[in-house]
Amino acid sequence: MKVSFNELQALSRKAFMGIGFAEGHADDAADMVTWMESYDLHGLEALNRGLEHLMNSDPDTRPEILYQDSDLAVVDGHHLSVLRASNLALELAFAKARSRGLSVIKIRRCHQRQLIMGYLARLSARGMNITAFWRNAHDPLTEQVVGFRANSTVPSIRVYAVEEVPEENEANDGITLVMANHVDLLPTMRSDYRYDLLAKHEESELLAVRERAMTSGIEVTPELWLRLKQLAHVTLVESFDASRLGAGPAE
Amino acid sequence: MIDAVLQAARTLPPMRAPSLVMDLERLGSLVPSRLSFARSLIRQMARQRWHITRQYFALDEGGYGEVIYRVQTPNGRYHVVIFSRPLDDDQRTDRVIANAWDLTFGLVEGDVEDSLFETLAENVPLQEAGRQHPRLLVISRANKSLRNFEIFVNALAGGEQPPVQAIREVGYLYRTTAVYGNGKFGIADYGRLKNNPDFRYPFSAQMTAVYVLRQFSIEQAEHLARHRAPETAVPLEPTLRRYLGIGNSTGLGMAPFLIRHPQLINQWVHAREQALAIAKSQIPSEEARHRLLSLCTRAREYLAETRVEDADQTVRNTRTINELDDILPWLEQVELEDNLWQQLTDWSEAAQSVDTQEMINTLLIELYPEPVDLLEDTMAVEEKFELEPDMPLIRLKQLIETQFDWALAEDFDNPEARYWFWYQSVEKEEPRLGIRGEDPGVEKELPLAIAPRVQRSYRALQSYLEANPGALTIDFLLAEPAHMECIRRIQTMAMTAFGEIQGNLWHRDMKPMHLLRTKLSFLGANRFDPRGERWVRVTFFQGAPLVEELNAEPTDLGTFDDWSFAHSPGDARDSVDPTQIKRDESLV
Repeated sequence: MKVSFNELQALSRKAFMGIGFAEGHADDAADMVTWMESYDLHGLEALNRGLEHLMNSDPDTRPEILYQDSDLAVVDGHHLSVLRASNLALELAFAKARSRGLSVIKIRRCHQRQLIMGYLARLSARGMNITAFWRNAHDPLTEQVVGFRANSTVPSIRVYAVEEVPEENEANDGITLVMANHVDLLPTMRSDYRYDLLAKHEESELLAVRERAMTSGIEVTPELWLRLKQLAHVTLVESFDASRLGAGPAE
Repeated sequence: MIDAVLQAARTLPPMRAPSLVMDLERLGSLVPSRLSFARSLIRQMARQRWHITRQYFALDEGGYGEVIYRVQTPNGRYHVVIFSRPLDDDQRTDRVIANAWDLTFGLVEGDVEDSLFETLAENVPLQEAGRQHPRLLVISRANKSLRNFEIFVNALAGGEQPPVQAIREVGYLYRTTAVYGNGKFGIADYGRLKNNPDFRYPFSAQMTAVYVLRQFSIEQAEHLARHRAPETAVPLEPTLRRYLGIGNSTGLGMAPFLIRHPQLINQWVHAREQALAIAKSQIPSEEARHRLLSLCTRAREYLAETRVEDADQTVRNTRTINELDDILPWLEQVELEDNLWQQLTDWSEAAQSVDTQEMINTLLIELYPEPVDLLEDTMAVEEKFELEPDMPLIRLKQLIETQFDWALAEDFDNPEARYWFWYQSVEKEEPRLGIRGEDPGVEKELPLAIAPRVQRSYRALQSYLEANPGALTIDFLLAEPAHMECIRRIQTMAMTAFGEIQGNLWHRDMKPMHLLRTKLSFLGANRFDPRGERWVRVTFFQGAPLVEELNAEPTDLGTFDDWSFAHSPGDARDSVDPTQIKRDESLV
């Protein structure tokens, strides 16, 4: 079924509220999912895969800063989804980059990392150059680099498989981010090692996809839509005769 | 260049203080101005030579069926598709929880091919329960004023015009009960419209659909009369057609919009305040004085004719009439000094009701179309709350104390100050008010009251700051993430003057009607007729030029635009050229 961008954003927000996200954090999570989906970057698929995990994670668990100095921070995501664990960590990196010109932040142990792109788009629109790097799989080893030019809402994305796997190949479920106030950090493939480019999304191509989504709507499976509605329903108050008066007497 | 800009900024007349303007009671006394969206739309249509024509008219003898109107602009083509269906009387309710209506309609971008028409026919009548097409820009529904409909059809069928009194009492044949835009139920997102030159002003697509519905209401009544008595039926006189508007019935559903879109509200109020400041700074001419006298008289007569059931509103209207009566002789006799408009508003502020003050302000704005109408372009904004994570916390504290002093001043230990809570019902997500401590659902409260949120965040920030004097905003939020949304809003809105409504939406004395009226006035609604504290009926486009006048491509756009505060044309049997009504106050 087709839904509008606004409709998906609004229902996702309510669903996140239903799951237990605090106000504002639910907006951010909904924006991240909807942003991904509007560029056909499989935001809903990622959400669908991670929904049970999101529902089962303790709402009181928060990302924790393990180390920080003026330019650098290491954050433990405590196995939370980036929908729960990334917005304030990214704001921390943003603040450091604003103050120091460049910052590096590592968010360790986090899930649904793909979805972080939606929040990066937001920071980029505030004038920040950003590169995010993470490994998607370890056998074969695939890596993803996402780069946002400052004030652009669309990234350049590269996904590639590395053929010459380094000896040290411990599972890496973190994301490394570099933010720079003044310097372009777009990914350009240049390597002495062999790699296979699996996916490459250019800014112009993504803009065209977005335009299509705004014109024709966004495809959602009826099952996921129903699931989101069920989660959103938790935020509503049951109705009874007296409560109808809460909107004023019938005319 | 920079010097010129700075010079211009320095010479801009001062605007009123936000603490005065954003007071909820004052906002609840606003009346539509020439910047209201219904007025802007009519101006735009005339300026750009829009044409509205009937493309398809398939109604049976009961008035049921489908009708399509084409809206042709220089930039695009749109269609308003209307479905009129029989409705049992016991199903006719204006509440959002209704499932059926006398008619449903939508504004479509582009042409209506057969396949699209079939999809629309299946879904538009279902409204929220349907899956709507992404080429629909607006969907809406409306119920009949049964009494007026019967009076109109009977009179026209008998070769007579309906009595003007009928329209004085109820200014429409149909009233809409919700007008949806911005992606609701699958229709086009606002993002689709923001670069569309036809609908770049807020709510202009919605207003277009409602304006076309007004034409349908006239044509449907005439169609029914012709079917009832083909030999004797007559069309509705132009004066009465023009005096007929479209009603709207609105409840609490409108209230959350004002809280959730403070950046947009800032643009609207800022434009109005800027217009007022510009008007007040003008040196009045004799012509302007006469024009203001004429407008005061017109507004007075409009209020005198406005019939409302609500006792408080009746008192308020009567008081404004009496206070306008005080102004008229003064304005006629007073010396024409350079600061006359300032004298007038100073006097009104000191001695008259808030309703009259805002009426005078609206009429002053009306005097100066050229500088004021340019402000239309400032009324839309791309909304986004953003954090400033590197803002020192001490600066944030000072910002709250300066900009949100009204929120900090409220005493929430007083039970009266936390009496109401807002929530959404499972019934079509209708916003409702509950009494804290009595009604169920407080744990699912909608965070619409800004003042208590600001206070909570301020207290948490204060204690964090005591322990961490050099902290940044982000340090505080990492420790207290629950405050993120409130802080983000505070930082965003601190850049604006008029976005936050300075009132406590929890307070027992809070009147939700003020919220509804704020938005309705910017939309351009007249005849504000409260039905209790949470429900209101209003009328749009009463007195507005008709479709046939628009299609005639008017050349005098100033006269075409001059349709505010419509009052009755007298007995329609004394037929009058509608173009004469606008300037000729002797018709009052």
